[in-house]
Amino acid sequence: MLSRHRFQTILASIFVLACMLFTSCGASSQQTSSGNQPVTLTWFMWSGSNQEVQAWQYDASLVTKQYPWIHIKFETTTFPDYWTKLETEAASGTLPDIVSLQSLRTPGFASNFRPLEPYINSNHFDVSAFNTTIIKGLTYQGSLRALPYDFGPLVIFYNKAMFNKYHVPYPSANWTYAEFLQDAQKMSHGNDYGFVASSLPDVWLPFALSSGAHYLTSNGQIDLTNPQLSDAFQNYAKLVYQYHVSPTITAPQVTTTPSIWEAGNIGMVVDGPWDLINDKSTAKFDFGIAPIPTMSQGSISVVAGSGFGISTTTQYPDDAWKAISVLTGNTAEQYLATQGRAFSARTAEQQYWYKNAVPGADTTLNQALTGAVPYVTTSNWNEVTTLIDQEGLKVLDGQESAAAALQSVNTRAGSA
Amino acid sequence: MIVKQPDSDQTSVDRGAPSIHSNVSHITAKDRQLRLSKWREQGIAYLFLAPNILGFLFFTLFSLIVAFGLSLFKWSLLTPPEFTGLDNYVRLLTKDPVFHQVLLNTLYFVFGYVPLNMLLSLGIAIWLSGPIRAKNLFRIIMFLPVMTPAVGVALVWMLMYNYTPSGLINQTLAAVFHIRGPNWLGSDTWAMPSVILMSLWYGFGYNVLVFSAGLQAIPQHFYEAAAIDGAKRWQKFWSITLPLLSPSLFFGLVLTVITSFQVFDQVYILTLGGPGVDTTTLVYYTYQNGFTYFHMGYAATISTVLFLLIMVVTLAQFVLQKRWVHYEV
Amino acid sequence: MKSESFGKTQEVRLRLGSIVSHTLLIIVSLIVLFPFLWMLDTALKPNGQVFQFPPTLLPSSTQWGNFLAVWTFLPFGHFILNSLVVACGGTLLVLITSSLAAYAFARLKFFGRDTLFFAYLGTLMVPQAVLVIPEFLLIRYLGWVNSYQALILPMAFTAFGTFLLRQFFKTIPIELEESAIIDGASRLRILWSIILPLSTSALGVLGLFTFIGFWNNFLWPLIVVNTADMATIPLGLQMFQGQNGTQWSYMMAGATVSILPGIILVFILQRYLVEGINLTGLGGR
Repeated sequence: MLSRHRFQTILASIFVLACMLFTSCGASSQQTSSGNQPVTLTWFMWSGSNQEVQAWQYDASLVTKQYPWIHIKFETTTFPDYWTKLETEAASGTLPDIVSLQSLRTPGFASNFRPLEPYINSNHFDVSAFNTTIIKGLTYQGSLRALPYDFGPLVIFYNKAMFNKYHVPYPSANWTYAEFLQDAQKMSHGNDYGFVASSLPDVWLPFALSSGAHYLTSNGQIDLTNPQLSDAFQNYAKLVYQYHVSPTITAPQVTTTPSIWEAGNIGMVVDGPWDLINDKSTAKFDFGIAPIPTMSQGSISVVAGSGFGISTTTQYPDDAWKAISVLTGNTAEQYLATQGRAFSARTAEQQYWYKNAVPGADTTLNQALTGAVPYVTTSNWNEVTTLIDQEGLKVLDGQESAAAALQSVNTRAGSA
Repeated sequence: MIVKQPDSDQTSVDRGAPSIHSNVSHITAKDRQLRLSKWREQGIAYLFLAPNILGFLFFTLFSLIVAFGLSLFKWSLLTPPEFTGLDNYVRLLTKDPVFHQVLLNTLYFVFGYVPLNMLLSLGIAIWLSGPIRAKNLFRIIMFLPVMTPAVGVALVWMLMYNYTPSGLINQTLAAVFHIRGPNWLGSDTWAMPSVILMSLWYGFGYNVLVFSAGLQAIPQHFYEAAAIDGAKRWQKFWSITLPLLSPSLFFGLVLTVITSFQVFDQVYILTLGGPGVDTTTLVYYTYQNGFTYFHMGYAATISTVLFLLIMVVTLAQFVLQKRWVHYEV
Repeated sequence: MKSESFGKTQEVRLRLGSIVSHTLLIIVSLIVLFPFLWMLDTALKPNGQVFQFPPTLLPSSTQWGNFLAVWTFLPFGHFILNSLVVACGGTLLVLITSSLAAYAFARLKFFGRDTLFFAYLGTLMVPQAVLVIPEFLLIRYLGWVNSYQALILPMAFTAFGTFLLRQFFKTIPIELEESAIIDGASRLRILWSIILPLSTSALGVLGLFTFIGFWNNFLWPLIVVNTADMATIPLGLQMFQGQNGTQWSYMMAGATVSILPGIILVFILQRYLVEGINLTGLGGR
């Protein structure tokens, strides 16, 4: 017979158990006002290894050094996941205080970032110390959304050992596309390839732009159906299916062509200065960087970069501003540049990056930067780039025409 | 399991017949007692049910209803939801250039994977039912992949399928057979078969166990009687084994079909739905729309269509079972 | 004489057949096990050797260190911890709540019992893909994104466990309980002391499948986890993919760790497997 007492005990224990399970696990942020009261700010940034995490955490410690009441809690995930997770957090209202932003994603995510003009003005902050192209890249509808920490044009990384093996002279500053193709063909034998081509738009748009194509209309809408773009993409795809100077890659490899290049049997790859230090530590060969080969309209590359901004939902915007100004300040930039983590967005600190880069990097980058344009994107760029990645693979493999693929992407992305 | 045999048919309450004189009061008291215990039983029942049912109602039943409702809206999370009625369905079935391909891909997988799985596991199960030593060890080995995360095994299969640089499969083909292997995961001809092959390896062990259990339960005397009558092996198989195994076969078939419609993990790892959309299956398409593009309403529509598809196929199987499944003692 | 030699030939033939049969089975088993062995083999190779042609079966220098390196390369310790918490917590929750509910359905009479059970049955066929979208919205509404509750709770209340145990409880003769009821035992006591001890194989099977289900689940953590430190093992494994794809040996080391619980549990609980499938009706009978 279940006594009343037992009944209640059971009820109570179930209740307690349920409470324990249902209690939120998240760390509750202190509801103290900013300004010398201890504050913990969350900072969300992508990373690919513990090494990178340590670099960012060191950066975060610089903030506390300068403003002792501010502590930074660093959260991270991988780069591809970062953008979907950011959108999830924006939708859940759980955005961190400091959010990292890439110039490519600015149109899509700008609404989650506070305009920085008020802070720049009230603190007499010198924005001109940063490179103007990347500042433009992180600006949306007239206001800057994040302070940049790095940037760079996309360039060609070339494997000197491979060039030596096939007696191919290194790329010159003004080398042409014809020379590029020739070099690639000379190096493509057996398991060796002269180039590794990816369907990622970041990688092939410089070739398209250099041959006079465009991918956006004058008012920033996506336009992938114009014939110049289809031709440019088709020619690029020929590198894989016709000239066989590049291996055929699979979907998960689309964003990781630099690591395929690191294996040592590929001559060239399109990449940016942000990867230089990773490549230096992993690649077992010497390498150099060269600008995008000159085509009919010259050598036009795209400039992309990343920075840190203040989320619209943070409760401590002033402290967040202080934090990001340190994270992108002279000391941090010098550290990141010396580490090779960032080709500094601050012009003055770029010299430290050059010290650890490869010989000739400064001339190449300067040249690439003069001809480069900011990488402008649309607000649904995440979807656009995923679709181009997917469909583009079939074009590279010769299974589909560039025109058909781009048309398909245009329809699907446009109807979002 | 040893079952305790009841030693009598005595029912639980038998206090003897009430005497005539105390009839009325006795029954009322008993009545009250019964009613009280009935209420108590209900109370206890609800108490027992409570933890499970709260979670069930909340996370499963309620979610199911929300999913159906969501498919009638257009919602991208950051903007307020917009009621669109059946527009999503219309768009999915008529205007979406990709859905037909996705549907075909899923059917390709189901019709490729299920028959191969059934044949393979049935064959192995029957083989193992013969005079084999350590049969349980073999069964367990076949079953091992099922218990491992699909992600882990998909990664090693990706390694083996790798095209540049050559993974194990292409290296073996080149060295032993002098064939140049295709781009398993990147070619539109081979991508889906590659996914099917990996899934086959991953999943067949489950049915081996199910069919083995079913085979074990077939009484031996049927075979002995048939042997006396001079039946050959083939006849025994066809007339005894198959019919008596049919409940297990049915169960295995239904379950395998249902799980094959939901393939996701290996697609995500091996091909990311590519090349193009050649291996994008219904669940992958749902995921993409819901959690990469954040078209929540549309994703709910796709998943509802998937659910209806599974329901229809399963119901059809249940209807057809009368024709070939023998439920005997 | 003749029949004797005939009998001997028969015996030899049978024995040969048996040897062939066993050998083929061993080969098939090796084929099944091969990817796991390849996984371990690659995990022990130095990174440069992973795609070496011809493939080396034995690594030139066994890199047990790769297993340690996995820990420092990505927060693998977090992945393991999270998987353990989620799988153990979830399994416990399922076993407890399912036993209670199954007993109620099997033995107790209450208002709405059959309708409710029918509702349970109906949801058995619902694919996970349908539920993840509304469950995600629910989790988001509750503010539980990227938390343990989000990883455990939505998956802990499917009808499967209740259904399985209810079917099993019904096969236990009711007389065993009736004598206890007369003696005045509470229902809870009956469940604990009589029913559960008789149900070890069913509980074993349910526990095994639930644990593995949580451990292997990929789609849900993919949706609900935002940061690397809350990831479970399958989610963490795919994080190796986006990065330095050349770190195959680390990835395989991680993958090897991920398959261990499944393998170990199957070997430990193998007795329950075939038995349990029969008894609980998972085999369709």
